[in-house]
Amino acid sequence: MENLFDVTDVSLRFGGVVSLSNVSMFQKRGEILAVIGPNGAGKTSLFNSLTGVYQPQEGTILFNPKDKPQLSIIGKKPFTVSDSGIARTFQASRMFNALTTFENVKIGAESHKGIGVLGAMFRGPATRRDEHTSDEHTWSLLEFVGLKDRANVIASALSYGERRRLEIARGLATNPEVLLLDEPAAGTNPSEKNDLAILIRKVRDEMGVSILLIEHDMKLVMSLAERLYVLNFGSVIAEGTPDEIRSNQNVIDAYLGTASEEETDNA
Amino acid sequence: MDSLNVKKFLKFAGVLVILSELAAVVTGPPGNPTHPWVGFKGSIADPTSLLGLFTTSRGIVFLVYGVLVALIGYLLKTKNKFVIKSQELQRTVSSNKAFRIVFFSALGVLVVLLPTIVKDAFWQNAMVSQIAIFVLLALGLNVVTGFAGLLDLGFVAFYAVGAYATAWCTGALPLPALFGMHLNTFYAIPVAIALAMVSGVILGIPTLRLRGDYLAIVTLGFGEIITVFANNLNGVTGGAMGTAQVPHFSIHLGPIKYNWGIPPVPYYYLTIVFVGIFMIAFSLLEHSRVGRAWTAIREDEVAAESVGINPLKYKVLAFAIGAASAGFAGVMTAAQTNYVSPATFTLGLSINVLVLVIFGGMGSIIGVVFGAVVIQTVTMYLIHNPPAGYQPQDLYMYIGLLLVVMMIFRPAGMIPSRRRTRTHAPSASGQE
Repeated sequence: MENLFDVTDVSLRFGGVVSLSNVSMFQKRGEILAVIGPNGAGKTSLFNSLTGVYQPQEGTILFNPKDKPQLSIIGKKPFTVSDSGIARTFQASRMFNALTTFENVKIGAESHKGIGVLGAMFRGPATRRDEHTSDEHTWSLLEFVGLKDRANVIASALSYGERRRLEIARGLATNPEVLLLDEPAAGTNPSEKNDLAILIRKVRDEMGVSILLIEHDMKLVMSLAERLYVLNFGSVIAEGTPDEIRSNQNVIDAYLGTASEEETDNA
Repeated sequence: MDSLNVKKFLKFAGVLVILSELAAVVTGPPGNPTHPWVGFKGSIADPTSLLGLFTTSRGIVFLVYGVLVALIGYLLKTKNKFVIKSQELQRTVSSNKAFRIVFFSALGVLVVLLPTIVKDAFWQNAMVSQIAIFVLLALGLNVVTGFAGLLDLGFVAFYAVGAYATAWCTGALPLPALFGMHLNTFYAIPVAIALAMVSGVILGIPTLRLRGDYLAIVTLGFGEIITVFANNLNGVTGGAMGTAQVPHFSIHLGPIKYNWGIPPVPYYYLTIVFVGIFMIAFSLLEHSRVGRAWTAIREDEVAAESVGINPLKYKVLAFAIGAASAGFAGVMTAAQTNYVSPATFTLGLSINVLVLVIFGGMGSIIGVVFGAVVIQTVTMYLIHNPPAGYQPQDLYMYIGLLLVVMMIFRPAGMIPSRRRTRTHAPSASGQE
């Protein structure tokens, strides 16, 4: 079975600043994969390259959706990438603040259905049927992420945890094969973090959507991810299961720190 | 809490008093080279009547005006806050539906009967050429600026395209007439709308990749280019003289024969039919997938792209659809006055339309119609019966003042769009 993502030797530069250098990675279908690393290591740049926001100068990124032809992502626009089945959330939540929770998710559910100005103006039976399916889809997703009772609240009035869940629902509404989560637990409290971990696992298990995750909360990452990549200064310095990563000397030096240090700090 | 409100009010009132005293100085008697302070002193000290009640010095009169406006504005503002709070959790669309139906039917009847109530020739003409036409323009610009959030400072270009297209179809231009024959003015409507939409697409595809200020500058340039073309392409547009041979509308359908002549009332009815059509069409669009996509792009373009919305496609669409109603406004102007000339299509007109949209409420269809009717009516009133001391060149100063006051008290417009007011709402139900 082919991989979902095949990233080969990707390099991304902004002028003289090297953001990613020769990054190679892959993701298996159905996998929960995490990317960790210190601030400025290039994690979000990698996400932006995978979703068409940045255009790396070198390398290839191949995406293999199940029922659609293979897509070479470099050079594609973000909305084309979204069409092919990649959804994402953002590090700082980006919602449509003037719209309700429901409308936010509905935009995701209907954005792949073409424009149809005349249909929108005259509300023919086909348009109404379309609207109906989008509504149903939206309600089921709101129920899935637990925001059903907040459907008519404007997005800017939601709490951090709710915003994260709204972004996940909006991403899922586009019927993706993989969901890219950029620090989903940032700014949430411990109980929200716990709910989020349960939700992320549910997305994979019940919807069959693969997960690619950036996260700084080690407890969350190590409990969720099946495999991890560690980035430092734009390069992959380690790859492996959570246990392998925890005991990798390079990773400990660059990012995790040693257990004894933590103990001294706590003492 | 109360002392805070008082403090806030005093701050608003202070700003307004300063503004109104400035207005007193600007509108006062002129100074002269030998006595430079005469104008300034006169502006403050000259006796003037206060609302016709008693006479006192100008400085005090304007001070009172400032305080009054502050008071009214403050009351409106606090009331508005209350409205937003009650809307936060539940949309109240269904609950006041009956009220809305009654209100809008009453308004509709009033609009239809208006020419029989207002018999004055000046006003009957103004209702078409200065009010209804500007309602159409404001509706169009509202799609571009209000729905999609694109600042267009050259909107007049599409109005010009509509007017010149009409002249072309009916054979009033030096060019060989479109389709090789002089068409009835009615046939010019689809042609003019189509050409305006096409020019929206042509302008949109290269420029809509730009954002914010850059887009505004490019559209400003486009508006100027159209005017320069109209002025100088003598063999195509008739140059600075324009053309005065656009025929009126007429119908010759078997037994039905009717000519729209000089009287403005028939044009009034024709225009309000189209105003109604555009209002309904734009309102359906606003609450459709397309309208939601526009709002998404306006709120956060990066996030919109990430859920599969192609921003360029929707922005060009907004330009084309907004241009349609401006194109139709062009047809009406050309047909009613028989006359198309570059002098009509100025930058000032673009700004004027933008003011109507901002005043009424960006993104709110009812708002912009209200804004256009109110501002244009007041403008016409000032032209028709100028009050003592009013000079026509002062008009834009007063409008500027009005906008400054608006930005303080009702930044979202007189009748704000529900989607835009919600952005200003504080976070609900004490979640954070």
